[in-house]
Amino acid sequence: MMRKIIEVILLSSLLFFAVHARGKPHSPPGKPALTSCRSPEKETFTCWWEPGSDGGLHTTYALYYRKETSEKVYECPDYRTAGDNSCFFNKNHTAIWVLYNITVVATNAKGQAFSDPWEIDVVNIVKPHPPEKVTVTVLEDKRWPFLRVSWEPPHKADTRSGWITLIYELRVRLEEENDWEMHVAGQQKMFNIFSPQSGGKYLVEVRCKPDHGFWSEWSSTSYSKVPEYFHRETSAWILITVFSTFTFLILTWLLHMNRHNLKHCILPPVPGPKIKGFDKQLLKNGKSNEIVSALLVPDFPPTASSNYEDLLVECLEVYVPKERQVVLEESKDLHDGGIKSENSTSDSDSGRGSCDSRTLLMDKCDEAKEEEEEERQTDLESGRMQSQVQRRLKDWEEEALTYAHGDSISPDMSSGRVKTWPSVFSPLPQYSSSPLDQQSSLEMSKQHSLSTSSYLTGPGHGAREALGQNYFFLSSKQPHLLNPHTPVARELQVHSDVDISRVGLKQAPAGLRSPAPRTTEYVEVQRVNHEDMVLLQPVVSGCGRTEGRSQMPQGEVYSKVKSVDSENILLLQREGMEEDWCPSVDQETNEETGNCYASYTVSATQKPSACIYTAMPIQDETALTVNGYVDTATMCTLNTC
Amino acid sequence: MHLVSVMQRGVWAVLLWPNLLTSSIPLDCREEQGGLSRCPSISQEKLLDRVIQHAELIYRVSEESCSLYEEMFIPLPLQMQRNQAGFSCITKTLPIPSSRNEIQQISDKWLLHSVLMLVQSWIEPLVYLQTSLDRYDAVPDMLLNKTKWVSEKLISLEQGVVVLIRKMLDEGTLTIDHSDQGLFQYDVQPEMLESVMRDYTILSCFKKDAHKMEAFLKLLKCRQTDKYNCS
Repeated sequence: MMRKIIEVILLSSLLFFAVHARGKPHSPPGKPALTSCRSPEKETFTCWWEPGSDGGLHTTYALYYRKETSEKVYECPDYRTAGDNSCFFNKNHTAIWVLYNITVVATNAKGQAFSDPWEIDVVNIVKPHPPEKVTVTVLEDKRWPFLRVSWEPPHKADTRSGWITLIYELRVRLEEENDWEMHVAGQQKMFNIFSPQSGGKYLVEVRCKPDHGFWSEWSSTSYSKVPEYFHRETSAWILITVFSTFTFLILTWLLHMNRHNLKHCILPPVPGPKIKGFDKQLLKNGKSNEIVSALLVPDFPPTASSNYEDLLVECLEVYVPKERQVVLEESKDLHDGGIKSENSTSDSDSGRGSCDSRTLLMDKCDEAKEEEEEERQTDLESGRMQSQVQRRLKDWEEEALTYAHGDSISPDMSSGRVKTWPSVFSPLPQYSSSPLDQQSSLEMSKQHSLSTSSYLTGPGHGAREALGQNYFFLSSKQPHLLNPHTPVARELQVHSDVDISRVGLKQAPAGLRSPAPRTTEYVEVQRVNHEDMVLLQPVVSGCGRTEGRSQMPQGEVYSKVKSVDSENILLLQREGMEEDWCPSVDQETNEETGNCYASYTVSATQKPSACIYTAMPIQDETALTVNGYVDTATMCTLNTC
Repeated sequence: MHLVSVMQRGVWAVLLWPNLLTSSIPLDCREEQGGLSRCPSISQEKLLDRVIQHAELIYRVSEESCSLYEEMFIPLPLQMQRNQAGFSCITKTLPIPSSRNEIQQISDKWLLHSVLMLVQSWIEPLVYLQTSLDRYDAVPDMLLNKTKWVSEKLISLEQGVVVLIRKMLDEGTLTIDHSDQGLFQYDVQPEMLESVMRDYTILSCFKKDAHKMEAFLKLLKCRQTDKYNCS
């Protein structure tokens, strides 16, 4: 029993193995697959397929195709030419621009297997043969050799008739390198490689492709050896190096020759401190007394023995030949360079009856032609300024205020003139709200500044020029007025018994200027005499230098103080009015001024004539305006002209 | 001064003299692509060259348009199986040689006439293609421009071939007959997918036919210069 079972098992296992040893069992063949179809010249083509499993039996393969245009099925005409598992279509069987539907069928005893059908158009499957006869030659071009690569198209491709259009590509490398350098040659059959490496060995290969197809294989390699030569780039580099070396040497030599100048240019010598009278040796000696004494300026600060008149800037006198103009006295301490400006200032001081006003007669202008020029310019300027008065006013106010705290010395320094004096007395109530006041004040200030325009021509305070010299100057004058500690003010305080200082001081705490209808008159200090008296001159202001503008509606009248007598009475010299003032003036002011003008000899053209007032005592504070101006108007009422 | 002005005018006249000559030549010599026979300025070889250049350009542009269209609108599986969409090329019914052998055997006359037939049969479908593409949503401008350019150039190619036929074959004036509408049926408002496949078929078929035209013309040129080596 046991032996039977074992035998059965053995037999079955033997059978089993025998079956396996014999091979696969019979079965229908596996499915073949087409791998590729290619045409080398667009006239014939070949298709290859991959057979599937044969199922253990002899399997035959057949290729059937169908053209697009008909339903008839053809079989492959040639199975052999192209090798195993291939089908070759010759020229007669190749149709261009026609879709082929190709199927491979595997047949064996057990069955058949059909591959997937392929649709191909011969035009699209062209893969040419590689180019032939690739030659590389070394050609000489003026001692710079280059490589010329030339080739032929594959002999089967009909490029001559244009049946196929091929484009070529080549690759080059040196023998020792690994990377190829690609070049596209287009449709030409020749290519140049320039600047090859001197003495190098080159490998060249070419391939081609139809305009719509596949690249061919690379052709066989061609070799070429380049002779030794001097490379163009190297010679160029040598030239550049030599040239730059020369340039560098020349530059270095130039620098060397000019090293002193350069040293001065780059590292300029630092100026040592130079103080007049300062001696470094003294410092080294360490005696401080000597140093300090050396530094002291002998004349500073001025002692009491100095003459006031030296310090003071004198008034300018204007000589007006005709009686219409007021003649100002000429002070003895007249400084240089001011003659012209003097005249101009005196013209302005004479109250706008000067040449600036076009309504005036020309004869007056004849004499002071030069001054007129200056004055006219300043007048025009002031006229322009006038037009911008309202706009500028605010700026001006601010500036004035700021300037009040600023440097107050500068007008003094400007030309050493005394025009600061009038500023002390000129009304500066310009900050009142009433436009009328402002206008008149601006007018006055303008006139004052005009009177002192000479100052401005000298030093030229450029920063404020925008406002006009007039305004600027006036603003610069304010410190004198507002700051009692200015030297000028100090002078007033210290050296004069006259309450001018008080005048100056008074205006600060005092309120705003009196309202419009009140007339004020302005005084100008002529000089301070030996008895510590201030000699004032009334300054008559005009309505404006520009023609036709009515300014001074308040009819403020500037007067000049001619002298101060022993009883401390101001003797005012009234200057004439101009016609441009008068019409717009209030009735009151007219009357007031009219009083004052009573003593004038009025000419046909209403030119001002001198009018001498009796002066009021200065101590009479009621006569003073808030701003310290001597109100000649009030004085006039008290006194007869 | 008078003399100087007269001299100036004379100089201008002398300089512009050649222009006077050229302007007297009839203008339609320049208008047509090939030029009429009475126009003395162009020779047959040059004319043929120009016609070939036209055909080459048309083929290249149509190829670009076809690949562009393929990328954008045709999914990959369908790209190889054009016929399965059910559309076949319009011109397959035309009696045009399709194998190298046939082409080598037919005469010059037939080559030219085949080209002409092809050109004429494609003018209308390209116009239809333009209108169809305009209906698309996302068609790039480049594609539209290319197809427009191609349809314009095709018309001038037709004119050139007509002139060439007249010159080379000494045939009478061929009337440009576009009445042969049977090749192309219009479908009003087709469905989107159908429209896409149809347009793709049009483009690819046209590309093929353009290549045919180019090949025929090049063969013709080869035969003109060197009859026996043109195989």
